[in-house]
Amino acid sequence: MDSELAEVRALEAEIAVLRPACEEPPAPGGDAASVRKSFPEIYQSDSEGWESSKDLRSNLGHLESELLFLSTLTGISIRNYSKKTETLTSPEMAEKSIKKVLQRHRLSGTCHMISFQLEFQILEVQNKENLSSVITDLNIIMEPTTTYSELSEFVSRAEERRDLFMFFRSLHFFVEWCEYRKRTFKHFKEKYPEAVRLPEGASASYMRVQSTSQPGFELVIVWRIQTDEEGKVVPKLDLLTKVPRQALELDKKGVVETAAVGFRALLSVLGIEAALESLLSVLCMEHGGQSPQ
Amino acid sequence: TARTLVPGLSVLAHLEKLETQVNRSRKKLEEPQGAQAVESSLGTKIRDKLRSEVKQRQARVAVRDTSVEPDQTLEISEQKAWERKRENVKAILQAYRFTGLSGKLTSRGVCVCIHTAFEGTLLDSYFVDLVIQKPLRIHHHSIPAFIPLEEISAKYLQTNIQHFLFSLCEYLNAYAGRKYQADQLQRDFAAFLAGPLQRNSLCNVLSFTYKVELRGQAFTFCARLLYKDLTVTLPTDVTVTHQGMDTLPTSWEEQRASHENLFCTKALHKVFASFTQREKLDMSLVH
Repeated sequence: MDSELAEVRALEAEIAVLRPACEEPPAPGGDAASVRKSFPEIYQSDSEGWESSKDLRSNLGHLESELLFLSTLTGISIRNYSKKTETLTSPEMAEKSIKKVLQRHRLSGTCHMISFQLEFQILEVQNKENLSSVITDLNIIMEPTTTYSELSEFVSRAEERRDLFMFFRSLHFFVEWCEYRKRTFKHFKEKYPEAVRLPEGASASYMRVQSTSQPGFELVIVWRIQTDEEGKVVPKLDLLTKVPRQALELDKKGVVETAAVGFRALLSVLGIEAALESLLSVLCMEHGGQSPQ
Repeated sequence: TARTLVPGLSVLAHLEKLETQVNRSRKKLEEPQGAQAVESSLGTKIRDKLRSEVKQRQARVAVRDTSVEPDQTLEISEQKAWERKRENVKAILQAYRFTGLSGKLTSRGVCVCIHTAFEGTLLDSYFVDLVIQKPLRIHHHSIPAFIPLEEISAKYLQTNIQHFLFSLCEYLNAYAGRKYQADQLQRDFAAFLAGPLQRNSLCNVLSFTYKVELRGQAFTFCARLLYKDLTVTLPTDVTVTHQGMDTLPTSWEEQRASHENLFCTKALHKVFASFTQREKLDMSLVH
């Protein structure tokens, strides 16, 4: 009898142990994947491993379209970016509750036909009153430098002043002017194909105009795009003349001498395109000469 | 999950049935011996059922673990690659603030942020919330009233949005720069000022009186700085006049003229920093 009782007790004990093993949910890991698949909306977050890859890819797609939009809006396309942070501490600083953080940034991208690579440092100083952020170093590399020699001007100024924003502002306006210059040169080349020469292409800073009826006469329109002290981009146009000596001797009124000055006056009155148009139309519409296309 | 719970439930339901059977049997049987015999046989049944269920579960879990593993590792590494790409894109979006222009898409269009700085010191940011419709319009903004926003919008907003944004950048950065210079003067060089610095909200008209000491002599000058172009941080017109009844000796007249030139070519606080340096030099020469 005692042994049977003991057997019953033993059975009851074993049941007591086995019971919870049947009630308990399965160990995690095994069923986690199936749980995730059944409840994707609950686990959609930034926490690793919980987000379904479909949602991750759609989120990435949204971010990429935001990036494309921003690059179209600003005209600046950032391709690569990385950053390193270093906290600088010293016992004196800790005493005065001053915190200094040095950030090292690397940024590269393009703005139309120009590509840039920047490396800069920002020092963040936090004290009791305020937080200040100062750019302590700025290095800029640009391409292409041969086509756009004026670039180096504003690049060195931006580096000197550690003025990152001025660099991008000037870059934008510089590129805008370059594109406008190229379009204008191309336009006149198409309109007066015989007279207009672009020996270094439409992206160059000058245009040669040869009179079709008087080949000895030549004009060179130099169009430079410069940046001033404040980083403002200004076009600077000049007229150079090449006239045969005989003609110069005949020029009693000194028209050739004053041509450059006259051109500048014309520019201020008519603007670039109209001034060039009037100059070219005069040069190309000579007695029996070629009329514009 | 219902799938995994159901078999457990059926086992439990079965167990309950068996348990009630045991209780009923226990009540029925009055002979302890008989009762124990029934109990033990039913208990054995329950125990065996439970044992087999636990074994089955363990087997299922083991199978699932091994079958899922290779898929999971591929899934995880692919996942990690996508996550890395996403972090990269997020970082680039954040990095736009270093161009001076950043933005976030909104349900209406885009909220553009314009950041300002002066010679390396990062200053305030402003925003313009744009509604992308025909015509494009500004929903709301934080541009100060004295910046000619309406003028700039009228010129460029509809035809060349980039020009609109960068033009705003120019105005805001210039204003921030002028304000910074005036603030620095008041903060760090108050000792030089003989009276309060007078300024307007645009910080393009500044007027102040300052004293300069040189070789034991002190003179008071009154400076008036005008920034006619709102996109510049250096004044377009500067007048420095002598305050006082006495006439200025020649050397001091030279000083006055040089100050006029200094204010035109150097940032305001930097001019005063150079005065401090010169005074220090002067003192060291005297002593």
